[in-house]
Amino acid sequence: MIANPGRAARRKLISGLFTGACMLATGVALVALLLILWSLLTQGLSGINLDIITKDTSAGGLRNAIVGSVMMCLVAMVFSVVVGILAGTWLAEIGGDTRYGHTVRFLNDVLLSAPSILVGVFVTTILVNPFGGASGWAGAVALAILATPVVTRTTEDILNLQPSSLREASMALGASQFVTVRRVIWKAAGAGLLTGGLLGFARISGETAPLLHTAGDTQFMHEPWWDIPGMMSNQNASLPVMMYNFALSPFEDANKLAWAGAVLLAFAVLGINVLGRWLAREKKM
Amino acid sequence: MSVTRPAVSTDQTPVRRDVVDPIFRYVAFFAATLLLAVLGGLIVALLIGGWPALAKFGPSFFFSTTWDPVREVFGAAGPIVGTVVSSFLALAMALPIALGIAIFLTQFCPRAIAQPIAVMTELLAGIPSIVYGMWGLFVFAPWFAKHIQTPLSALGGIFAGVPNGANIFTASVILAVMILPYMAAVFRELFRSIPPQVREAAFGMGATPFEAVTRVLVPYVQKGLVGAVMLGFGRALGETMAVTFIIGNSHAFPTSLFSSSSTLASTIANEFGEASGMHASALIALGLVLFLITFAVLAVARWLLSTQRY
Amino acid sequence: MSDMTTQDIQSVIVPPPADSLVLEAKKLSFFYGTHQALHGVDLPVKRNAITALIGPSGCGKSTLLRILNRIYDLYPGQRAEGEILLDGENILSPKVDVTALRARIGMVFQKPTPFPMSIYDNVAFGVRLHASKSSAEMDEIVEESLRRAALWDEVKDKLHKSGLGLSGGQQQRLCVARGIAVNPEILLLDEPASALDPISTAKLEDTLEELKRDYTIVIVTHNLQQAARLSDYTGFMFLGKMIEFGPTADLFVTPKVAKTGEYIGGRFG
Repeated sequence: MIANPGRAARRKLISGLFTGACMLATGVALVALLLILWSLLTQGLSGINLDIITKDTSAGGLRNAIVGSVMMCLVAMVFSVVVGILAGTWLAEIGGDTRYGHTVRFLNDVLLSAPSILVGVFVTTILVNPFGGASGWAGAVALAILATPVVTRTTEDILNLQPSSLREASMALGASQFVTVRRVIWKAAGAGLLTGGLLGFARISGETAPLLHTAGDTQFMHEPWWDIPGMMSNQNASLPVMMYNFALSPFEDANKLAWAGAVLLAFAVLGINVLGRWLAREKKM
Repeated sequence: MSVTRPAVSTDQTPVRRDVVDPIFRYVAFFAATLLLAVLGGLIVALLIGGWPALAKFGPSFFFSTTWDPVREVFGAAGPIVGTVVSSFLALAMALPIALGIAIFLTQFCPRAIAQPIAVMTELLAGIPSIVYGMWGLFVFAPWFAKHIQTPLSALGGIFAGVPNGANIFTASVILAVMILPYMAAVFRELFRSIPPQVREAAFGMGATPFEAVTRVLVPYVQKGLVGAVMLGFGRALGETMAVTFIIGNSHAFPTSLFSSSSTLASTIANEFGEASGMHASALIALGLVLFLITFAVLAVARWLLSTQRY
Repeated sequence: MSDMTTQDIQSVIVPPPADSLVLEAKKLSFFYGTHQALHGVDLPVKRNAITALIGPSGCGKSTLLRILNRIYDLYPGQRAEGEILLDGENILSPKVDVTALRARIGMVFQKPTPFPMSIYDNVAFGVRLHASKSSAEMDEIVEESLRRAALWDEVKDKLHKSGLGLSGGQQQRLCVARGIAVNPEILLLDEPASALDPISTAKLEDTLEELKRDYTIVIVTHNLQQAARLSDYTGFMFLGKMIEFGPTADLFVTPKVAKTGEYIGGRFG
């Protein structure tokens, strides 16, 4: 028996202080995050009213920004889901173990965390400057570049969770690889794939930097509203860019609108994330 | 191939399999390659776009602090230092707190409380950065200017600066708040990946919680922790909107903690819209610098995280 | 089924002589939340002897072991009732300093658990926690502990290499060395050989045989031959109760409870 009481008391004291410090850290973080939520609610909720969805930014509403955001995100997601699921499937089912597969996986991870402003610069140089200015299409491409790695990554992770007995059973029945993947693997992973799409959607719906120079901004809704190609071919407003411009505006009304946008955006993103997680839990991953 | 089983095999299936499977594989391969092409295109675009500025100013582009769009003289030292300093400060603030949260949640806190806090931190990691930026601009910076910076600025030295709350320090605080939930979530995953018997063995030797955590559990996931820190650092380096709002957007070389400054990303965000010619090229060159820095940091981070088995 | 209850079984405990006891558990009950895993278990432990706990899986033998150094404290919701006397003091009392207690009662786990550090630092780990030693003293303790754990000859040239690089059997003996380095009074072993091959198991058993002279050992095992070979006293547990406890030779040759005979005879478990 080697312990001595003085030393034991000191060790206990240090450990107690350490536990206290960890609790304090958690407390500090929670307070900071609650403060942000609090400002969001107090500053933003008062600005939420029916005008937000019926009027354009020129008239104190957010209609054009909301529509623009939704349109660009949806177009981006169509592209991202197709490419991301195919690329993720390639990594999980076909070529993931090759040297090329490892390279793709690594660079996908790099793209996943690359600064989004660089994607904005990239798209500006290839799609905006040569084609006479910012447009909704360019914005959607920038967003798609950001969402695709997310979908690819989640798809690969989820397909890897599917038991290999599923593949073997299907192949043993004489199904081709394509049929196996499409009818068995994708089906079994369905909710998980949806989660991947939602996480990608949540990521891009809050992105400002890549849209700043690619999609531009407008004060009015494109007329007529059903002319979607026309809308996407012109400058397109979005919630994040509107918030950026209006938050920096010297006018209080504009600031207020920016806060209202912040509330909408934050809760939309939270909602999508929660939905994605909930779906993932349903599938018991 | 020559064996035939007439009763069960339809005459279509073999043909379709020979055609469809290769097509499927090629399409999937093409999608994966598209990702590489995008990354490659991004690098090439940054190189081509930034080349005129790099060729004109040479090494002085990285060391000069002059950023003058009117005379078209560009040096990136101010934004480079602003980026690195603000990210380091943010990391220094966020790291101990994120570690504390992860340790508290996995070691000391009853599960019933740990779960909601953990979910909350993970959800907050998803809030758009522009929301954090607005909070910084409207709430934190004015409060900081009034209650902290004004009293301290009298001291001068590292506290010197215009007391308006828009400086490298407040930007770091906002960055820290942003990367905090993200880092805490990754740290927590790492600690949860430690087999329970390792923890039991540490306590079984008579270690106090402090000793078990610092001498056994942290070393056990060391590589992963460093990787997660690098990921957080990479985020801070490339973060644009939260910083653009609050760093003060001055290209001068920062001389104190409370200097207005700028980062690579915030400079691009602010000026790229109106820039043309050499100015645009200089901004793209900033993007190239940012890409190289973050690529190096992220590559090391991913490598460390992948070698940590969890 | 009468097989699945212990209602009608009368426990038989033949304790060692009272003055030879180092630790004594009395009327011990244990709860995982609301589930009761132990029902009034008695366990007398003789000094400088090996006490084995046997029984079918789920009988509570590992649970009993985990109470003896209060490792269950790590998990809120787990709770023990009754008393465990060590030198006349009840170690279940909340006033007991568990870090000091665990220095007196060491534990080796089912799977080898080397810490992510060098072999030397693994062995020195516990000593550094509880005492300050000069480096010469520490070298001596490390060498002595590794010798006792019959590992010294295999690792003396790579003391500063990671403990994770050793084989499974070596890792487990490293854990034994780490456990005895703090010079505990009692060493608890929870199925220490279950993850090991036969050769490593034999080496580990030789080690325990040696250690018995200086330490009191309590070992949980599912291997009846191992219990019979190694131990001086054996306790047979079933469904959370101590069914029979006595000198190993007696328990294996002339069990006093029918259930014990059935288990040893291989009729269940």
